[in-house]
Amino acid sequence: MSLVTDSPVDSSSSDDFASFLDAALESNSSGSSPEGEAEEEEEEEAEEADDDKVEDNRVKRSKVEILEEVVEEACGSTLQGSLEQKLEESAKKDACTHPGSFGDMCILCGQRLEVESGVTFGYIHKGLRLHNDEIVRLRSTDMKNLLRHKKLYLVLDLDHTLLNSTQLVHLTSEEEYLKTQAAPFQDVSEGSLFMLEAMHMMTKLRPFVRSFLREAHNLFELYIYTMGDRPYALAMAKLLDPRREYFGDRIISRDDGTVKHQKGLDVVLGQESAVLILDDTENAWTKHKDNLILMERYHFFRSSCHQFGFNCRSFSELKSDESEAEGALATVLQVLKQVHSMFFDEPGNDPIDRDVRQVLKTLRKEVLNGCKIVFSRVFPTKFQADNHPLWKIADQLGASCSTELDPSVTHVVSTDAGTEKSRWAVKEKKFLVNPKWIEATNYMWQKKPEENFSVDQVKNQ
Amino acid sequence: MFFHIVLERNMQLHPRHFGRNLRDNIVSKLMKDVEGTCSGRHGFVVAITGIENIGKGLIRDGTGFVTFPVKYQCVVFRPFKGEILEAVVTMVNKMGFFAEAGPVQIFVSNHLIPDDMEFQSGDMPNYTTSDGSVKIQKDSEVRLKIIGTRVDATEIFCIGTIKDDFLGVINDPAAA
Repeated sequence: MSLVTDSPVDSSSSDDFASFLDAALESNSSGSSPEGEAEEEEEEEAEEADDDKVEDNRVKRSKVEILEEVVEEACGSTLQGSLEQKLEESAKKDACTHPGSFGDMCILCGQRLEVESGVTFGYIHKGLRLHNDEIVRLRSTDMKNLLRHKKLYLVLDLDHTLLNSTQLVHLTSEEEYLKTQAAPFQDVSEGSLFMLEAMHMMTKLRPFVRSFLREAHNLFELYIYTMGDRPYALAMAKLLDPRREYFGDRIISRDDGTVKHQKGLDVVLGQESAVLILDDTENAWTKHKDNLILMERYHFFRSSCHQFGFNCRSFSELKSDESEAEGALATVLQVLKQVHSMFFDEPGNDPIDRDVRQVLKTLRKEVLNGCKIVFSRVFPTKFQADNHPLWKIADQLGASCSTELDPSVTHVVSTDAGTEKSRWAVKEKKFLVNPKWIEATNYMWQKKPEENFSVDQVKNQ
Repeated sequence: MFFHIVLERNMQLHPRHFGRNLRDNIVSKLMKDVEGTCSGRHGFVVAITGIENIGKGLIRDGTGFVTFPVKYQCVVFRPFKGEILEAVVTMVNKMGFFAEAGPVQIFVSNHLIPDDMEFQSGDMPNYTTSDGSVKIQKDSEVRLKIIGTRVDATEIFCIGTIKDDFLGVINDPAAA
């Protein structure tokens, strides 16, 4: 049956009719529009069609030509120069800069564009592209608008940040009980565990996520940016935002990014100085690390733990979950509120000149302010100590790091209680903690109680 | 703009459709094949209104298929540059808004929205005049002028403007 579709043949009579229509309409429209791009067509058709307007145009044009000649003859050379300049300027003004395109047509003048250029904004509408200048313009107008509403931008990752998903086939026998607990996809306003039969997936929302979105929505313009594909992103958005009040069309999936395996703010229509990012993967945002608030990964399902190499039992197997009140989302919401209030309430210069990245840095600096840290048996020997991630994190958190012991040291971070420095710490009554203390402090944005991170405890485990 | 025109198409039919209902089969197949498609020349085929004539069938060598030349009358819809159209707004964002007139998708950039209308974000993003009297949001009906068209195999894209006299909102669902 496939043969059947391949023979659409138009009869000659209808062809004639259509071409006649085309010709008639085209000449009409170009006659009424001010730009003269269709002039060539007009000339061709002028012979056949006895259209008054076309004739009119011709007459006008020839008049203009005559006028120009007269002007040229009459004017002196200096005058002529300035006149030419003026003409050039007006030509520049008339020429469209083609700020973007929709279906390969300029969004400003409607002209067909031959070359595809600019950044694709497929997540907003199919076939929409914008040029850098236009993006910059949109960002700055939007920024003013947003600041008036006292809002900033917040880009949210999905997996391991707001929720955890797994394929149904990856559920272990111990997790089978979840299938009976899961809410159907049709009713998404309640519950936190969902089964998406059509996508063969099960999704668990992170505890506190609904309150988080409700509160963050008042302070930020929310974006979703996920490495999942578009259908997945839309399905998850529906789970998180059943009434479509938080995200609107600001849902970006990996299909919309400009660089493979990377996330970038170039498709986000927000000034980089006002964007905060919440993600669990630092490497995805190589260009925008300063905007990033790193999240502790949320693993609910066994397969997810396994994927990241943890061999402990997952929440699903333990039939427990992250704490609602003290979980990562609750903590980070506090941080976001702090950043927001620092950004807007600080007296001084205009908010438009402020930079959220600077605010974030200042806030981080306060976490371990006043601590002096010495590491022991954390870095491999011969390793450049101040290149180590832990050292850098401690530095960003405002602690001063050192390689030598002296009375001003407050914390010794060690993997082994038997080292010389560890023993010194015990003797001098300094805090002796294991490296997890720094990581936890980094995720929680507050100094964690040192007692919970004693070095002996690690050895016992 | 709508046109009522006569078009021709060669229909290939499997022998199992032959018999008493041959004519009906051809017509129903024609409708299935043609209605809803686009061609750059004629635009969007809205509906077939009648059959002018069905020519003599020709058996294709090697297969049992028979080709019938069919002349049919149909209503087509094709937007033209400079045409004024009425459309329903489907999406509003900071770049402008998207509207639909039947199968035609129209984008109106914020450059081509009057300068006194400003974008308001929120649950229901919209463009509003400073005094709030005119509002463009999802499901508003607008009258716009086409300034560029492109016809694909299945879709028609247009660029529109409402920055001109007598263009803009003609019916606001929020006000009703």
